[in-house]
Amino acid sequence: MTVAGDPPVEQEPTIRYEDINVPVSAPCAHFDSYDRLREQAPAHFGTALGHEFWLLTRMEDIRAAFQDAATFSSSAVTPYEPDPPYKWIPEMLDPPLHTKWRHLLGPFFAPGAVKRLRPRVEARFEEIMDEIVDRGSCDYVADVALRFPNTIFMELMGLPVSDADRFQRWETAILHAGTSDRDAAYQAMGEVNAYFAELIAERRKSPREDIVSVASTWKIDGEPVTEEDLHALCLLLFMAGLDTVAQQLSYSMYHLANHAEDRRRLVEDPGLFEPAIEEFLRYYAFVSPGRKVTRDVEVAGCPIKAGQMVWLPIASANRDPEEFPDADKVIIDRRDNRHLAFGGGPHRCLGSHLARQELLVGLTGWHRRIPDYRLDPDVPVSEHGGQVGLSNLPLVWEPRA
Amino acid sequence: MKIVIDKDRCRGHARCNALAPELFDLDDLGYAAAGELEVPEGGERAALAGVRGCPERAITTV
Repeated sequence: MTVAGDPPVEQEPTIRYEDINVPVSAPCAHFDSYDRLREQAPAHFGTALGHEFWLLTRMEDIRAAFQDAATFSSSAVTPYEPDPPYKWIPEMLDPPLHTKWRHLLGPFFAPGAVKRLRPRVEARFEEIMDEIVDRGSCDYVADVALRFPNTIFMELMGLPVSDADRFQRWETAILHAGTSDRDAAYQAMGEVNAYFAELIAERRKSPREDIVSVASTWKIDGEPVTEEDLHALCLLLFMAGLDTVAQQLSYSMYHLANHAEDRRRLVEDPGLFEPAIEEFLRYYAFVSPGRKVTRDVEVAGCPIKAGQMVWLPIASANRDPEEFPDADKVIIDRRDNRHLAFGGGPHRCLGSHLARQELLVGLTGWHRRIPDYRLDPDVPVSEHGGQVGLSNLPLVWEPRA
Repeated sequence: MKIVIDKDRCRGHARCNALAPELFDLDDLGYAAAGELEVPEGGERAALAGVRGCPERAITTV
């Protein structure tokens, strides 16, 4: 019983971030855990390494949070780091400054620019296929997924492709350790910064047409962008561009390796690849951004206090049966698929058009040359935590004579 | 049938254009070009696909 003058009732945490964002026993079982949380409640109060956060589960509330940048600020995007020692640009900026950076970056990633890249994207994928098609087996993650979007991205940025392996190691340290090795993550961020410092200096001396060269000429509100901001931009583009498409390709291929009927339909009618890609984006959405709340706000009847973090698992929004009939099924020709795999609101993924093109080229290109394949039954598939993804995907097939 | 696009809500997903390119034009950065458009005879199905494809729910029919 509360009496006037008593302090307000404290919210009791019922979940821990560390327990949710971890590798799981069976690949993709991680996604099902959100269904249970959503059925229980639209919002769960918990702690992430001791910091208070709210996990939102419904599409309606997650979409609204993405769209309301004033209340749900991107100044912190990781629930266990409400006061981060780093700032990824433009991911961790809010409008109006965020808007200015997006306006500068936009031309590189606009649909027209992406279309112009298509021949290069196709050529790169065929190179990769040429190397593996006669082998009869591969680890799709290492041999295809990690080698395809990465080189395209590195060329776009102006990074030497010969450094791809170093970048992949840094990427893994920053994004795949989760809460368990933050020191390694910070060290890797430092190493990436040092690398970019050198590259930026080189490009200032001899500029090319890539993003690194052009970005060092940018002005915001009449002032040249600072060296620090350029590093923060390069770090963010590097993290956003290297892992995500590779992971999405891997989950898509994992699905198709396990679902022969879907594979057969796609091979028979390649026009189905486009809706199938949207469905894989919906179902295997592995990005879970956080936001920092700037004012007391009520979401689905739950009192969220200024300064608390919210966690917005996109997979939970994308599997909400209020939004999608048969939300828990993969339906490769699903219509009306307005999923949030690329987020929403001002921070909608800048790379979404490039990502979609790479997914289309990668999946159609593979199936044109290797239409029939399966999981290698002798090699277990494992998944990593942090930003969840497959660590490997062993595939076998009969090489064509 | 008229389509109204809330340009403040448009975030450049470009799904409308992907689903119904003949109806939904984009500007150079990939955002909705027009705030309003008239749907020609026979274009209703494509128009509704675009409406229902927008992740921001920025498009409505009048």
